Amino acid sequence: MFEIKHTLCPSCSVGCGINVILDGEEIVGTFPYKRHPVNAGKNCLNGRNSIDCFKNKFENVDLTNSIADASNEIKSANASDVSVICSGNCSVEDIAAIKDFAESNGFNIGFYANDLKNFEDVASYDEIANASKVFVIGDLLYENPLIGRRIVHAKQNDAKIYALSKNENAVTFNIADEISNSSVQEFLDKFKGEIDDSSVVVFNYVDEAGDLDKIESLNCKALPVFSKPNTKGALDIIDSKSADEMVELFDNTKLLLVFNDDVVDEFDYDFTKISKIITFACCENDTTKISNIVVPVKTWLEQDGSFVNAMGEVQNFNCVIGSDNLGIIEVIGELNK
Amino acid sequence: MSYVLAKSQNNEIHEAGECGGAVTSILKYLLDEGLVDGVLALSPQDDVYDAFPVFITDSQDLLKTAGSYHCAPTMIGDLVQKYFFDKKVAFTVKPCDMRAVEELIVRHKINKDNIYMIGLNCGGTVSPVSGREMIDLFYEANPDDVISEEIDKGQFIIELADGSEEAVKIHDLENEGYGRRKNCQRCDVKIPRKANIACGNWGAEDGWTFIEINDEKGQELIDGAKKAGILETKSPSEPAVEGRSKVENIMIKMAKKNQDATYPLVSEMDEWSRCISCYACRDICPICWCFENCELNKPYFKDEANIPPLPIAFQGVRLSHMSFSCVDCGQCDDVCPMDIPVSLIFDKLQKKYYNRTGYVAGVLDDIKPPLYSPEKTEL
Repeated sequence: MFEIKHTLCPSCSVGCGINVILDGEEIVGTFPYKRHPVNAGKNCLNGRNSIDCFKNKFENVDLTNSIADASNEIKSANASDVSVICSGNCSVEDIAAIKDFAESNGFNIGFYANDLKNFEDVASYDEIANASKVFVIGDLLYENPLIGRRIVHAKQNDAKIYALSKNENAVTFNIADEISNSSVQEFLDKFKGEIDDSSVVVFNYVDEAGDLDKIESLNCKALPVFSKPNTKGALDIIDSKSADEMVELFDNTKLLLVFNDDVVDEFDYDFTKISKIITFACCENDTTKISNIVVPVKTWLEQDGSFVNAMGEVQNFNCVIGSDNLGIIEVIGELNK
Repeated sequence: MSYVLAKSQNNEIHEAGECGGAVTSILKYLLDEGLVDGVLALSPQDDVYDAFPVFITDSQDLLKTAGSYHCAPTMIGDLVQKYFFDKKVAFTVKPCDMRAVEELIVRHKINKDNIYMIGLNCGGTVSPVSGREMIDLFYEANPDDVISEEIDKGQFIIELADGSEEAVKIHDLENEGYGRRKNCQRCDVKIPRKANIACGNWGAEDGWTFIEINDEKGQELIDGAKKAGILETKSPSEPAVEGRSKVENIMIKMAKKNQDATYPLVSEMDEWSRCISCYACRDICPICWCFENCELNKPYFKDEANIPPLPIAFQGVRLSHMSFSCVDCGQCDDVCPMDIPVSLIFDKLQKKYYNRTGYVAGVLDDIKPPLYSPEKTEL
């Protein structure tokens, strides 16, 4: 039966709405969610392709056996040798369960937020559109287009746009008044005198932790934009680690439990040094390829939950299709038995 | 072509539907008589600004589709071709939906024998997010309190839960950048005459729908619904027919005026420089049906160094492939993350094509797509 259903896009932290088209038990396409206040029916290519994770779900994996194998491995390991990797791909509810699971078992917990952090008072998307000056760190127009659109709106409202990107062909440069390929620190230092309380700094990367302190000390609002849909929500629950701290955690791990993330893709690290890797994932990625055990879990389309978007709004999503798999909370319940 | 005024004989539908519930009754007749496998119609979701097509197979469910939803600018043509090719299906169409369906029929992407098109006259649609903003700014009302909206006599009218109404002139709203979507403002096809029937309130008495019967299938529909006892009809008066024609002509005149004012040179449009090559415009276009075989999927269009792509290379391919068949539905504008007014250029080229050939996409009786038509080989 043909059906269209509302959900959220899981491809970054902007928090766009997206409709999915169901034909019977299959998700066959996406449809614009024009009523959604964040994106008004506009989705980037990543967003429209986000349903691929449902199409590429694990098949032929025996769920009962994989959970039993994972449980045996976990129970036979020393707690101090076990590290749990939490992800901004997980919902608020899943993250709370993962944290509880790690803490109650005495496991280490690692969460990486791309070296970004939570700011207490972030700029809203409307504040970007209405700012008189927008300082853009990263090619936001290309990488986070639905925030990029707010920067375009600011430009149309006569704002001055200052853009920094490592990519010399950055699309954001095409609407910017000032462009730079420098370091974040040099960029901020160069334009420090022009930043005032009607400015907004919007960024999706920094070079080093000190850049965050520098941005936080500015006399204006800022908006960190994360690469995963619920990094902001995760930061409210778990303290993040730096890339170096994550590597240190990997070095001290014999059993790595990865929840809905792809650490192999994210870190330049030799994961073969870790004795055992168990991944809880909804579809194949570089980490599942090298994992000893893969436990398939529900995609976001197959369960209820919530994500916190970059500007701090909690957005709920509902299950749009049934699943034979378990959600992370249910898998943890099985592991705790 | 002939005209009737019609209303539902079913009290529930008469109450819930717009203008006497004739459209909902006709859809019910089609379902109850087994003439179609299902009906594709807009149904509201979270509020009146949020509606999308639902597929209904039980006529009891039709009530939830009754009414008008101007703040839900959807496109039905590509859904029909992708998901309903083998099904017998009835659906409601705005003129741009109808034009897209007609273009897909000549491309053999929709089987005309399988479909019933119930046309809805259309003065234009409003984007839901800007529609809410508009109500917040121009009306003494909370957008959340609106239970229905209507475009009538040049006004955008909202009805609130307490039964009160507020109206603001469309012209005033559009002067401030609100009101109908830009493509709707320049659209000069207001009555979907390639649909089997075209329904609306123009020229209608209160509580009745004015129906233009466009073909034999449309006549059979009306006759069948009457015979089934679900539809009552009567002939419209001569002044009613003239009044409807007058409304249509005024709207077409306004559209032509907007067309004259809004076609820039491509070279003057700096919007293209923010294209991120996301293909949203192509993917939503009801006329672009090549899918995986699209020329734009070729590796040289995938080179990230070519972002933003040269308009002549990226949009040029699409322009050359289908602009003559552009139905100006504005979906490409709606989904562009960078707010590039894509449809402006496609519609402009379609109008140029019209000036040379007289071809209006999805409206004329060409049996083949334009570039395959023998009459146009000189192009």
